[in-house]
Amino acid sequence: MMSGSSDVNLKQSLRKLEYPLCAHEALKKIVELLTARVTNIKNMDLSLDLMAEFVFFEVDRRGNKRPTGLSPLVELQLLEILFEFLNNTQSEVTRNTLFFNLFSAITINMRVGILGKLVSLAIGIPSSIILISASTWMQQIGNTSPSSCKLVEALVFDYAHLAPNLQDKMKDLPKIAPEFTANFLTGVAENYYVPKKNPMFPPEVLLKYAADWLTENCTLCLAPQAKAPLLPPGAIAMEATTPIAGLLRWCILAPIYEQDQDVYTKLYLALLNSIAEIPTANAPRVINVQHLTATVNLLHNYVKTRESNVSVLVDPALQLALDRFGQAIQVALSVNAIYGHLNELFNSLQKLPFNKLISIVLNKYKLSKSTPIIIV
Amino acid sequence: MIAETAVVRDLPQQDLLNELKAFISGTRKFSRQNSLELTKTALVLLKKLPACRGAVFEYFCKVFDAAASNYIESIETEIKTGKLPEPIETDELIVSEIHAALIYLISENSIAWAPTISTWSLELLGEISTKYAGRAHISTNLNETLQLWMACRGTRTLVDINTKCLSSLIHSDTEACISALLDTSVKHSPYFDWVVAHVGSCFPNTVITRVLSVGLKDFSQNRSCDQVRSSPKLKSVVGILGHLAGSHTKDIRQAIIETFRLSLKEVFTDSDAIRLQKKATVPYILQLMYLSNTLLSSICHDTRNILTVDIIGKLRHFTDDWIKYFGTPEALEEHIISLILQCQTGGIQILNLILSCAQITKLKGCNESAKTDIREKALELLENILQEIEESVRHGTAVDMLSSCAKNISEINEMLLSSNKIVQAVGYRLILYLGRINPAVLVRAITFLMEYAKTPDQLGFVLKIITSELVDKTVPAYSEKGGHFSVVLEQILSRNIQKYTQSNEETLDLSQMWTNLLTLLEWEKSDKISLLNCRFVSRALEENFINLTSVFSSEVHHVHIIADILDKTGIPMVSSSYSPPIRVILNLTQSAVNYFFACCRAEGTSTKLRGCQRAGSILKRLCIYSKVAKVLALRELLEKALFCSEKVLFGAKNSTVHDSSEKMLLKQNKNISKTIPLTKHSTVFNGGIIGLGKRKAFVADVIPTDVIAANIAELICVLKSCCTLMEEEKYSEMSLDSMTLLSLLLVQFVSPDVMYNGLPWPEEEFSKVTIERDLFIRRKFTNTPLLWDLLSFVAVSRPALCYCSVLIRALTATLIHQWKSMGDHSKETGNENYTVLLDTTIKVIDVMALGQLLPPPLSNIRDVLPSLRCFEIVDILRDCVWCYMRDHIPSPALFICDSNGVYWRDPIMSRPPERYTNTLRIIMQRNMDTLGHLYSQMYINIPHYE
Repeated sequence: MMSGSSDVNLKQSLRKLEYPLCAHEALKKIVELLTARVTNIKNMDLSLDLMAEFVFFEVDRRGNKRPTGLSPLVELQLLEILFEFLNNTQSEVTRNTLFFNLFSAITINMRVGILGKLVSLAIGIPSSIILISASTWMQQIGNTSPSSCKLVEALVFDYAHLAPNLQDKMKDLPKIAPEFTANFLTGVAENYYVPKKNPMFPPEVLLKYAADWLTENCTLCLAPQAKAPLLPPGAIAMEATTPIAGLLRWCILAPIYEQDQDVYTKLYLALLNSIAEIPTANAPRVINVQHLTATVNLLHNYVKTRESNVSVLVDPALQLALDRFGQAIQVALSVNAIYGHLNELFNSLQKLPFNKLISIVLNKYKLSKSTPIIIV
Repeated sequence: MIAETAVVRDLPQQDLLNELKAFISGTRKFSRQNSLELTKTALVLLKKLPACRGAVFEYFCKVFDAAASNYIESIETEIKTGKLPEPIETDELIVSEIHAALIYLISENSIAWAPTISTWSLELLGEISTKYAGRAHISTNLNETLQLWMACRGTRTLVDINTKCLSSLIHSDTEACISALLDTSVKHSPYFDWVVAHVGSCFPNTVITRVLSVGLKDFSQNRSCDQVRSSPKLKSVVGILGHLAGSHTKDIRQAIIETFRLSLKEVFTDSDAIRLQKKATVPYILQLMYLSNTLLSSICHDTRNILTVDIIGKLRHFTDDWIKYFGTPEALEEHIISLILQCQTGGIQILNLILSCAQITKLKGCNESAKTDIREKALELLENILQEIEESVRHGTAVDMLSSCAKNISEINEMLLSSNKIVQAVGYRLILYLGRINPAVLVRAITFLMEYAKTPDQLGFVLKIITSELVDKTVPAYSEKGGHFSVVLEQILSRNIQKYTQSNEETLDLSQMWTNLLTLLEWEKSDKISLLNCRFVSRALEENFINLTSVFSSEVHHVHIIADILDKTGIPMVSSSYSPPIRVILNLTQSAVNYFFACCRAEGTSTKLRGCQRAGSILKRLCIYSKVAKVLALRELLEKALFCSEKVLFGAKNSTVHDSSEKMLLKQNKNISKTIPLTKHSTVFNGGIIGLGKRKAFVADVIPTDVIAANIAELICVLKSCCTLMEEEKYSEMSLDSMTLLSLLLVQFVSPDVMYNGLPWPEEEFSKVTIERDLFIRRKFTNTPLLWDLLSFVAVSRPALCYCSVLIRALTATLIHQWKSMGDHSKETGNENYTVLLDTTIKVIDVMALGQLLPPPLSNIRDVLPSLRCFEIVDILRDCVWCYMRDHIPSPALFICDSNGVYWRDPIMSRPPERYTNTLRIIMQRNMDTLGHLYSQMYINIPHYE
């Protein structure tokens, strides 16, 4: 337990150090505070104060917001300190705890830039230890949440956009940090094939990475679910969403947006393989019905807006998309990987234009359920 | 590129982490020594760890800043010491390392890197330019700054990198780069201008179009006019375009017009932002032009092709959206007016456009009320513009738009002739404003009107222009030459004169001008138009009399109307303050005489009649005014009528047959050295010249006798006008002096000799001496019947005939000779010679009777002669006429002047003594059977005083 005066003393002593050197000391104190056997609100507040003032340099000693942010060079020094500190924190629980607190749901909007650079460094240098924490962070904050998506976007910009030539680093990513890779793919899947978003399509390099990773490792998608994250005591582990549904959306929608590169076929095949490899035991929660239904709605919108003079039956792009969809559902059903209200999915599937494969899937489901389904 | 490294978990981690650490510690204590190493580390990080790029670029900033600083210092050293220090090698090396690395990145992956690097390089350039502004500078001139920085390795490299960025993106997306350019320009103006200028000149088209569109994007976001006014981006756009305007005016113009045209096209697929931009385009362009004169002038010189009435009809729908950018509709209008006034070219095009809007009748997609709206607004706008111009003109401040109109004077002049009242009025006002600055414009406009005005309405503008209070009446042209109108006349007339002297084939049709001039003069004389109270037409005419008269003398086609004008001026007048110079008087006299003969020659009685009247009226005034003119007029009239080609008009036989043998007088003089014959020909008696055979019969010109009679009457009329007295007297309006003059002139012209021209008649015998000359005179009379009329005319104004004594004497002498040789049988056979001789004799007697040289009963001889035989006629002529005349010298002394100033001889008092009448009496008594009734009249029933 620390008294109020010791708080002040602590801050005073830290202030004697030059920024960003003080960040290192501050981080040590923060870890102490966070991992104290008895945590109380006061300690939490102090740790938050220390982060804001001595780590991220967001406020001055009076708690007023600083008008200008860090210059890139100073920021890099901070990044190095963070990197070193985290990289050298052996206890995974402690590291994850620190990570969660540094980039909590409240402060993430301010710090997402630094987080992006930190993770980018962790990929580039690389550091599996930090990537594990990042992966856990994504999982806990929701790997399809906006914050995760923003982080993923920054990483894509760095490694797919600015430096598409750093292929060796990316190729090895699943080996260094499989959970992180899976969560990264989940996040990345949400960023593309979203109508009215620019850019709408993933960069070619990213597609290639995803296809390669999944082809090489069929179990990659399930990696986060395979290993339970090490969380601070009392925290509830959040369920990790797999990238399968999201990436399937890419492959299904690609034909109707005239994206017909071979890499989609490769990715699609890898996805089907990944699904087929899912062990049927213990009813894994791999694909959420709602995640799939979102794709159905997008197809619906497309059918509505497309020009009506071409019959839906002879629209090859649409039929290809529906084929892929039907196939994926069929495979997923066969391994029992879809969870949630299946009725909801099949009702929405009925509204899609006719497709032989889907109708077979529908009929099969009808038979299995032996409940009447009206086919329009 | 760094070689691919094998995937080993720990090793590369350590490598890169070490590099990172080295970089961080290196940048903490940045110095020149470690900089090359550090740069290499930085470049590795840039390639391997994209997350470090911000820091790396910040480090590069320091490097370039140091290089620039070194450069500036070395220049300053050079200025101080005159020696240029060696360039620092490491600087050069580092800069070229970075350069190569960045160029590689750009060429490898331009879409990702170019925007980032471009923004960074621009920002850095801006900072460096601002930081070292004012140092090592001789001036802040853009070109010198450009040279200064382009000589610096660091900045040159940056500029080059930026250029590479732009050129790598030129086909995909330059917006980010241009936007950065604008932002930096906003931040670091004016020190950054050289970069803009350089980039702009590398990619003029891209920069111009992008700058425009980025500016438009920014502009369309503005919500209020305050925001517009304070927008730094707009100013930056103007600044950049201003730089480029010098060498790329055409491109800028094209780009602006393209933007404008694009904004007119509405496409359904436009997003809201695009729609907003399209709506903002016109206000945007207006603001740009307001901020930069160069841009304004690049656009306004061709408004005709950009804006049409149809386009205005389209734009009408957007005006409500425009207002927010200006605040109020009034502000918008004011803005537009001030722009229009600033146009240095093409002002007339804009006015024409507004005028066509004001007259709009048909417009697609507009109902009647919309058209009325447009018309009214156009009129209002027009009025405001004109008032603004007037205001400035009155205060003597220049208006660009007005000066631009000065180049289109002819177009403005045409406006005056328009059938539309508005157009006319606009043209009129423009001319006044222009004329206040440059009076030559007024002169040109009036000249134009004079030459082309067809209606009184159009001609009225001449009055309005000249009498306008806006016209400065103190400028030299006005004060020296008697007003603008006089200058106008001067120009027209001198051009007209040139036409003759230089015989240029310029088709100058002045008929309308003369008509107009006459109309103006008539207006002035009518005293009904108050504007003309200053009598500027007359004054101008007076000023130009020299030219006018010389035109009058040379003109052919418009001679009648000029004569009319001259006549209407009433010049010269004794009572008038204006006294024309003698040259004018002489010129005018001569021309009037010429005109008279021209009229006589003319066919068609009405023009002829009126022309002769005009000539008479002009000559009358001239002769009253000036004695010289009178002498000249009479002499000219007589000489022409008697001797020149005009004589045929008066019935003379054309004797100007040019014989090849006709010799120059000089030659003749040389041939005959001892004696000079009195006349040209050695003999006059025979019908030919010795050696040349018989005289050739003249081919008479066929002129109808009635025409000849009319001509003669007109001539007499004109002569009468010339001899008129100044004050009209009761009984005689003729001036005796003038008639004497005329009489003397006749003698001078007809008598070839100066000898024996006196009044007295010598012995009849003496006529043998003068016979040759007498015959000459006689032939003159025969060939020129006009002489008889002239003699009669002289005879009427007694005693002027006295001075023609010699002519009558010559005639009488020849008659006596001829009668002597005429046989009596001729009378019986009705010989032609006889009739002619008798006729002539009667004419002579008539003239003498008319002039009261022969008193009764001698004056009645004419009636007696036809009944007598030849020898009796000879007797009468010799004994009665000749002897009487010999003893009573025909001189004015014979006449007495009565109380009315009329000269006459009382026939009762001056009855000749018996000895002069006896011969006649005896002959008559001898022929009493036929002459009885005459005899009583002549000898018995004589009137006498009681």
